[in-house]
Amino acid sequence: MKLFQKTKTEDSKHQRVLRELIEVMGKERVLSAIEDRICYSYDGTKQKALPDIVVRPDGTSDVSNTLKIANKYEIPIYARGAGTGLTGGAVPLMGGIVFDLKSMNRIIEICPEDFIATVEPGVVTKDLQDEIAKFDLFYPPDPSSAAFSTIGGNVAECAGGITGLKYGVTRDYILALEIVLPDGSVINTGRKTLRSVTGYDLTRLFIGSEGTLGVFTKITVKLIPKPKKIETLAAYFSDRDDAIDAADLIIDNNILPRTLEFMDKMTINAVRSYTGTDVGEDVEALLLIDIDGTEESISHEMPVVRNACKESKASKTKVAETAKERETIWAARRSISPALYNIALHKINEDICVPRSKIKEILQKVDQINEHQTIYIANFGHIGDGNIHVNIMYNDDPDQAELAESIVNKVMREVVAVGGTISGEHGIGNKKSQFMELEISPKEMAIMKRFKNYFDPKGIMNPGKMFIR
Amino acid sequence: MTDWKEEVNKCSKCGKCHTVCPVFLETGDESMVSRGRISLAEALRDKQIVYTDKLRDYVYSCKKCMRCRTVCPSGVDYEVIISAMLRGVAEDMGVPLFPRIIFRYILPRRILFDIMLKVSSKIQRFIPMEKRGQMRHLPLLFMGKRWIPTLAKKSALKKLRKTKKLKNPRMRVGLFTGCLINYIYVDIAEAVVDVLNRMNIEVVVPQRQLCCGTPSSSMGDHKSSKKLADLNREVFESHKLDAIVTACATCTKTIKMDYLRTLGPSWQPMSDKIYDISEFIEKYCGDEYETKPVDEKVTYHDPCHLLWVRGISDEPRNVLKKSSNFVEMDQAGACCGGGGIFTIIHYDLTLKMLERKVASIERSGADTVATNCPGCVMQIADGFAGKDSKIKTTHSIQILQKALVNGGVNKGNEE
Repeated sequence: MKLFQKTKTEDSKHQRVLRELIEVMGKERVLSAIEDRICYSYDGTKQKALPDIVVRPDGTSDVSNTLKIANKYEIPIYARGAGTGLTGGAVPLMGGIVFDLKSMNRIIEICPEDFIATVEPGVVTKDLQDEIAKFDLFYPPDPSSAAFSTIGGNVAECAGGITGLKYGVTRDYILALEIVLPDGSVINTGRKTLRSVTGYDLTRLFIGSEGTLGVFTKITVKLIPKPKKIETLAAYFSDRDDAIDAADLIIDNNILPRTLEFMDKMTINAVRSYTGTDVGEDVEALLLIDIDGTEESISHEMPVVRNACKESKASKTKVAETAKERETIWAARRSISPALYNIALHKINEDICVPRSKIKEILQKVDQINEHQTIYIANFGHIGDGNIHVNIMYNDDPDQAELAESIVNKVMREVVAVGGTISGEHGIGNKKSQFMELEISPKEMAIMKRFKNYFDPKGIMNPGKMFIR
Repeated sequence: MTDWKEEVNKCSKCGKCHTVCPVFLETGDESMVSRGRISLAEALRDKQIVYTDKLRDYVYSCKKCMRCRTVCPSGVDYEVIISAMLRGVAEDMGVPLFPRIIFRYILPRRILFDIMLKVSSKIQRFIPMEKRGQMRHLPLLFMGKRWIPTLAKKSALKKLRKTKKLKNPRMRVGLFTGCLINYIYVDIAEAVVDVLNRMNIEVVVPQRQLCCGTPSSSMGDHKSSKKLADLNREVFESHKLDAIVTACATCTKTIKMDYLRTLGPSWQPMSDKIYDISEFIEKYCGDEYETKPVDEKVTYHDPCHLLWVRGISDEPRNVLKKSSNFVEMDQAGACCGGGGIFTIIHYDLTLKMLERKVASIERSGADTVATNCPGCVMQIADGFAGKDSKIKTTHSIQILQKALVNGGVNKGNEE
């Protein structure tokens, strides 16, 4: 990790930048004490790198002014939401300025009649969801961090979540963006309408750009009516492939469950010892299925889903009768992440995504790579989307760490070989940039770099992320 | 004991503590949430930083409500970390002279504590602007801000010196009063004794009991806290008691949970016998009492140290449902903002939290808000005193007392 190098001239440059920032925004919004810098040095990957300055902007003009100064002095700048990312997107690898966008957390407008809402980037995703629920509306993207991650971070990483199969991911709900470019100029992409095909789709270019092109200051999202009812089914299988078949069969019956989650044996074992969930020893895989809609549609669909599981040799199926039972089932799902630490101290959590028809194949490949079971691998995730979290678990041991890395390397190659992607929902950051060229050919890579150069010629936006430097 | 230097490694930096931290919900400031403070602890361990005024403020911004520990997916015992940081502040920066004298020399000696407060209660008569039994907090008087209650003329310990002997009592329990109840809310202690007596339980109020030690440990002066714990242990172990009850959520937390750390596992048998008053009544008196509910709408505020540290929420409500026209408020578990040094260093945040709490209570339509902690009573009453509201603030045991009196339950058969 390289920190912002301070030679003598740099030092005075640093002082000048600080002075100019304070002049524009006042001391309150410009933090440079070591204690503050430490608190903005990390994200959900546990990586750390100290920024030199933390700016807490209050509106578009603060963002614009800061970027003008950063651009003039060519200082790296990093947009940060809640710092919950899983690939290092918000870590200030090269020092410089971190934007704490949590300070811009206003819900600007909710227009129930137009099915849209406009928010500042620091709004916590669940806060938006709760707010619009008052109008019986629904913003579906639901990353498991939704209760603490911000909408700005979700857009920057194009976050997914468990409702992806039926409702899509963040990208599918973003209509328009206000963006400040590195030179401080402000652009507006998209329209606040449910459709717009005027010109190139710049909005989509910025979604998932991981803070490498500009900083969002306003985000307009699309809303849909809130489903009236949700019902949950848990299905147990004594063969992993049967569970995958069941998922296919459900979808073949023209049913898109709200969620269709898969857990393999290693995951189940971890959860079992953690929550004491009552799952038999012979269970090799588990599907957790939510069906939403109206009373009538659910009463029609749930039996079909249940039959599909039974036809695929489910050893047991159970519909949650009460809200409490439903909560118990989902509590088991949510406890996976901490429970995995019962297996080993460290984990590499990959978020590969393959065509649904290749799920069996890729899981077999993962088994083969870890043929001698020298390391524990737990697989779970959003099976309906083909988005599987491959968790490679290892202990404090350099050999194991190395082995884990080499397994990741092999898994990534196999994923790309079957037509999959190295990241379904977490983004690239610095954690996965070494694998980007496996998936993206030199030609497309060159195009991406030209876009990057066009918007950010001085390379100040989130350096060290996505592309290998 | 878990080493904080290793405990910090468990934090996976996921950020889930953001969802519950009452201070972070107000500020959105990463330095005022567990994940941030844990990073600061890491930096301290790695000698990257030292204690400064700024760092002290960030450490003191923690309300030690432990909500974060209840949601942490990685199972970090945050209390170990924040306690170590508070100790670090005290060791590196020193405990300010005035509190130090109080912690070291006055708190361990009941007679000095009594004298100090006696003198204060004489002085307080000269303070202007008394209002509904509340007065201006002396150090903050000139800022025209806080309203606090007046000191009692006679402390609870003195008033309840004589144990009322019962004929064939079902149980014999000790009351740990805690300072706020002893010196200010004497009527809460009296209500506890009265209610238990009516349930045929004998209540001893050990006279040599002292402060639980929370004020000193929250300023990192663990030496003073240890001394108080040792002395309290001596006092309570010398009485043969079936249980110890308290009406203060923070005292319960300290003597039941924290003493296990301060005094070690040998405290476990005593710890098992310590109960919050509502918890005790629900467990041992359950359906055995008749009440005539008071004709008041009463709502309940969950003290942090009862709800988030001990997971107690049903028991006080059950008691209130039997003794009043109970209504639930929204955000009953949200912090009232009260509590020790935090209210002094981060007064603005205290006020914001209090405003929200007051608004929730008002929305509930209740005539009275009840809670199980004198600290919360003081804070919430402050919120209402400032705005001339008719809503009363009380301890839930006092509501039960009224309902028992209404119901004609006798006062317990004296021997």
